[in-house]
Amino acid sequence: MSLMLNNAPCTPVSAQFTLSKCMDAVMVMGNAHMAMARTNKLAVIASHCQGSHFLYPSKSWSGGDGGGNDASSSGDGKYELLSAANNLIAEEIRNIMSKIEVTGNSTDTLLAGSLAKALCYIHRLTKELEVGQEIKSRILVVKAAEDCALQYMNFMNVIFAAQKQNILIDACVLDSDSGLLQQACDITGGLYLKIPQKVALAQYLLWVFLPDSEQRSQLVLPPPAHVDYRAACFCHRNLIEIGYVCSVCLSIFCNFSPICTTCETAFKIQLPQIVKPKKKKLKQPM
Amino acid sequence: MGSAQGGRVRLTQSHSGRDTVPVQTEKMRHLYVVIDCSRSMEDQDLKPNRLTSTLKLMEAFVDEYFDQNPISQVGIITTKNKRAEKLTDLAGNPKKHITALMKAVDTVCVGEPSLYNSLNLAIQTLKHMPGHTSREILIILSSLTTCDPANIYELIKTLKSLKVRVSVIGLSAEVRVCTVLTRETGGSYHVILDESHFKELLMLHIKPPPASSSSECSLIRMGFPQHTIASVTDQDAKPSFSMSHLDSSSGPGLSLGGYFCPQCHATYTELPVECKVCGLTLVSAPHLARSFHHLFPLQAFIESPVENLQGDRFCQACQAELKDKSVFSCPSCHSVFCVECDLFIHESLHCCPCCIYRQTAP
Repeated sequence: MSLMLNNAPCTPVSAQFTLSKCMDAVMVMGNAHMAMARTNKLAVIASHCQGSHFLYPSKSWSGGDGGGNDASSSGDGKYELLSAANNLIAEEIRNIMSKIEVTGNSTDTLLAGSLAKALCYIHRLTKELEVGQEIKSRILVVKAAEDCALQYMNFMNVIFAAQKQNILIDACVLDSDSGLLQQACDITGGLYLKIPQKVALAQYLLWVFLPDSEQRSQLVLPPPAHVDYRAACFCHRNLIEIGYVCSVCLSIFCNFSPICTTCETAFKIQLPQIVKPKKKKLKQPM
Repeated sequence: MGSAQGGRVRLTQSHSGRDTVPVQTEKMRHLYVVIDCSRSMEDQDLKPNRLTSTLKLMEAFVDEYFDQNPISQVGIITTKNKRAEKLTDLAGNPKKHITALMKAVDTVCVGEPSLYNSLNLAIQTLKHMPGHTSREILIILSSLTTCDPANIYELIKTLKSLKVRVSVIGLSAEVRVCTVLTRETGGSYHVILDESHFKELLMLHIKPPPASSSSECSLIRMGFPQHTIASVTDQDAKPSFSMSHLDSSSGPGLSLGGYFCPQCHATYTELPVECKVCGLTLVSAPHLARSFHHLFPLQAFIESPVENLQGDRFCQACQAELKDKSVFSCPSCHSVFCVECDLFIHESLHCCPCCIYRQTAP
């Protein structure tokens, strides 16, 4: 059994590739996942600058017993669960787009909150299983917006929680590279991919991200990205290779300073031993 | 649901002492664990016998310890037959300890333990540790006797002067010398009731202890090596031996990638490690980030009865219907969570899923 969660940021991307095309590709991927095995489960979360919202399954939808419901029975003979899921996702996205107002020019989404909600959801599903059953979960993040630097600490907390629960975090990045997601994928063991051609999003999703972790070892997938784990110093935000770490608050500095700026502890400075200069006998000019 | 309520009660007990101001805790800890391997460890009151049960719990302890204290080190000492010997040296990598613990299941338990010898052995290494780190010893003692070559009360004075904190977990009964030992050095002494109590007591030692005023604060020089993944087709790639394999008996393997020490370019396969060539401590930024949740702990959520809730009754984290008698709300963003999510958030996540949208940068 496997569960896949999908985060999609609701920020606008370039003109040729609109949100609706992106959602189409995501729905194809979701349908494919649910069609792979009867026991597969799916949940979709939209993450935007003011919050995150579960698109599927939705609170107002009591899943499973919708027999005779007009919305779920489609005329083309498609598996009802898939068409119900598609309709629900489309409706919820429309609701969100009409409700949120784009205030200001913030183009970054707060991914850490959506990932935290996804982890809570997975945790709940794991608790609801009977004894002896297992569920393997992974999270796929489809991201177009840029990173937000404020969320570094929360993001790292979420990543470590996912690693402890053995949940893979995969990332499919549309626009700009994201250092945070690269670290997340490396730490949890997932795949990071920056898509070269956005119109082929559905193909990339189905090729790279549809198989689960056991099947991936037998496929030829894009090579892992080189992750830069160097720390950024707190004073200049430069990436450094050797730095000084405060033993109290673990802040990183590039130069030695007598007081830590974060926790304001004074450090013991190792004074160099003062060597008395030996008096040299001046040679008298002859 | 009973276990969730029980877990909830324990968590509040540990939370009640916690205030919102973060307490400074020791980050770099050097801990020696002394395991008693004397004849009393063959007793079968813990299944299958005390030794196997202890070693199993120690494996879980080591894993959890490095999870919560990523830049700390652990060493293991065993004592039997009136002697003490080191099972593993102080190291920051959990794998070595776990393999040693798994092999130690076959040891024969014979003779009497020696508190003096094991403490002495630990002190030999701990006294050289720098002042800003914490020096701790945890003794798991099952025998009621100890065979010491010299006066242990003198050793207790030495421990106190070296600022070593000794804690004891007794498996049989309370022993006076342990009470004095732990009281003088500032550690804790507990005697177990059963196996689950044993696990609980062990896990108490994972949380970093509050920093004593005597510990020095200093800036530690550390390196952050890059992980290079080179393939054979790269022209610059040079194969190298990993320095961490110098100690192991299996032959060192040539590898193309790895972590290169920024000061001396020695290769290592895993972090965190202390460079054997130049002595620089090598860590990666996520290792330091693991300890951040101790610096900025999450506030306990406020419990309230579910009847007071207006509107939709859904947990905002896992989208489940709220069927429990009480719900928990975050004091800063007032979002509502169910019991399971509250436990999960405080034990694993350490951040509120809804607060992130209203937070300013730490």
